[in-house]
Amino acid sequence: MKVTLKVALTCTTALFATAAAAETMTIGITQNNVGVDSYQTTYEQAFIAAAEANPDVEVVVLDAGGDVARQIAQMEDLIQQEVDAIIIWPTNGEAVIPAVRKAHSAGIPVVVTNSNIAEQGFDFVASFSGPDNVTQGARAAEIMCDKFKDMGIESEARVVQISGQPGYTTAIERQKGFDDRLPEVCPDVTLVETQPGDWNREKSQQVMEAFLVKYDDIDGVYAGDDNMGVGALNAAKAAGREGIIFVGATNFAVGYDAMAAGEYWGSIYQSPVDDAEAALKTAIDILNGEELPFLNYFDTPKITQDNMDEFTKPVF
Amino acid sequence: MADMTKQGIGRLLAKQGILIAFAIFMIGFALANQRFIAIDNISGVIRSSAILGVMALGVTFVVIGGNFDLSVGSMMSLSTIVVLDLHDKIGPALAIPAMFALTLALGAFIGFLVGYMKLNSLIVTLGMLSAIHGLTLTWSGGKNMDIADKAGTWFAVFGQGRVLGVPVPILIFAGLAIILGIVLSRTAFGRKVYAVGGNGQAATFSGIPRARIVFLTYVLSSFCVAVAGLLQASRSLGSQNTVGQGMELQVLAAVILGGASLMGGSGTIFKTVIGVLILGFIQNGLLLMGLAFYVQYVVTWGIIILAVWLDVAAKRGRLWSPTA
Repeated sequence: MKVTLKVALTCTTALFATAAAAETMTIGITQNNVGVDSYQTTYEQAFIAAAEANPDVEVVVLDAGGDVARQIAQMEDLIQQEVDAIIIWPTNGEAVIPAVRKAHSAGIPVVVTNSNIAEQGFDFVASFSGPDNVTQGARAAEIMCDKFKDMGIESEARVVQISGQPGYTTAIERQKGFDDRLPEVCPDVTLVETQPGDWNREKSQQVMEAFLVKYDDIDGVYAGDDNMGVGALNAAKAAGREGIIFVGATNFAVGYDAMAAGEYWGSIYQSPVDDAEAALKTAIDILNGEELPFLNYFDTPKITQDNMDEFTKPVF
Repeated sequence: MADMTKQGIGRLLAKQGILIAFAIFMIGFALANQRFIAIDNISGVIRSSAILGVMALGVTFVVIGGNFDLSVGSMMSLSTIVVLDLHDKIGPALAIPAMFALTLALGAFIGFLVGYMKLNSLIVTLGMLSAIHGLTLTWSGGKNMDIADKAGTWFAVFGQGRVLGVPVPILIFAGLAIILGIVLSRTAFGRKVYAVGGNGQAATFSGIPRARIVFLTYVLSSFCVAVAGLLQASRSLGSQNTVGQGMELQVLAAVILGGASLMGGSGTIFKTVIGVLILGFIQNGLLLMGLAFYVQYVVTWGIIILAVWLDVAAKRGRLWSPTA
């Protein structure tokens, strides 16, 4: 109800505003599934806050509730309303392409946020704003390698990897980044095995238990996100195996706490606030006619026990 | 002479087909990697399987009673999240009974709908699968739930403790399996569950209160889910909202693998336990073999089919039957 009202209001204000001052731009966003996790909830709040702070921008904020059909309908609504630009957080990288194409044909630039759509839709997208998962994987490899060098075991260390859900782009990209970068920075470190933990702490704990049985000597664990990393950490603690270096990605509160406790070495800091602000800025820059790279990444820095004071504890 | 031996083996097989399948897999995996049969690994696998196993014990009653329970996975998420959340708010001593009360209330609600209202159990519990997941997300606001003081709580004892060197989850799983095994096979209630699932109408005509028996199977199932949630929460002292997702199918697979009929009326606790262990050891064995994970899905399916086939073949006394 609130959203509908907001939509109606924005439409009228947009019309008048365009007549009065050509500067005001209306940007519509259709999000994936607000409320399903704190990342997405924080993203929405940050997006609205950023838009309110900018007097030149009016936003229409919609949420698909994880439903592809609803997201396509929302895209069509936004096209009908003749917004100046559309930001989409795809519920499904394939299924939304026709809707994105329709917006493109209507002359409305589309910014994809957080997770990209499938490649065959790239022609209809003005820019992608989100995290660079290949770089995240590469940075995790660097964090681990640096730590091994500190410990003086870079010539013999053995690493296992627990990847995200098989088939998911984020999982594939982070694994690729890690797999490619590790031999570049630490050529003598062996990656002995990779198994999926399906983004699931419990599954990851079971995978790690099997690794611990199978390998007497494990020096490092790279997990595709902190939830899985902490699952692996739990397994090592239960088995009484100490001195293993854990590195994750997408720093979660639970990973941050484990770092504070000195049990978990590092991760990659990805803030939903940065994610939301980057998406809005990308859309505004495009409307202002600025040249942007097609893949417009926001920075996701390294976080370790050494520099964690510079970061606030994640809310998710 | 040869005939008699053949019949003797046949009778043995007919009773224990699934057990023989289990033994074959264990030997196979042990040959592939000798660490598979290390005591630490075996105890680790059983400890991990205990959560699934406890849930499967309850669902065995529901299935023998002629119904489905697809809600156990999301119900376990809810119990886990609730007990973790309340742990820091009201302390573990109160959080545990509060979580049990909530879970039992949900089980009673489902039991009421299926037992007394005579609604289709597949529809009711499939609906509850999403409804309860929604409840969990509402409760947690989508956040991961973590106990703040992980080192200083006695709550860890259920999932991580040991008594006489045996992990507590294994003791709880084994204890519950023995008690429920006796309840199912040696008490009037157990016999009524078989009667209701085998032939509901006949049971009603013999004066068995069908609605109440079905109701009780769901309450029992939710009790097991609460125990599983407790083990899960205590094991990791923190959880995602997705923790039990998809487990309803694994539970059902374990129960059916153990030989319980989806039509109701047959199955035993002992065989369900074997079904649970087979699933647990397959996952562990394949990991130890280091097979590429895409292959693991396919191999898991193959092994399950092999187990079911051996069980069926044992019951009919031959490996292949052209007629039925």
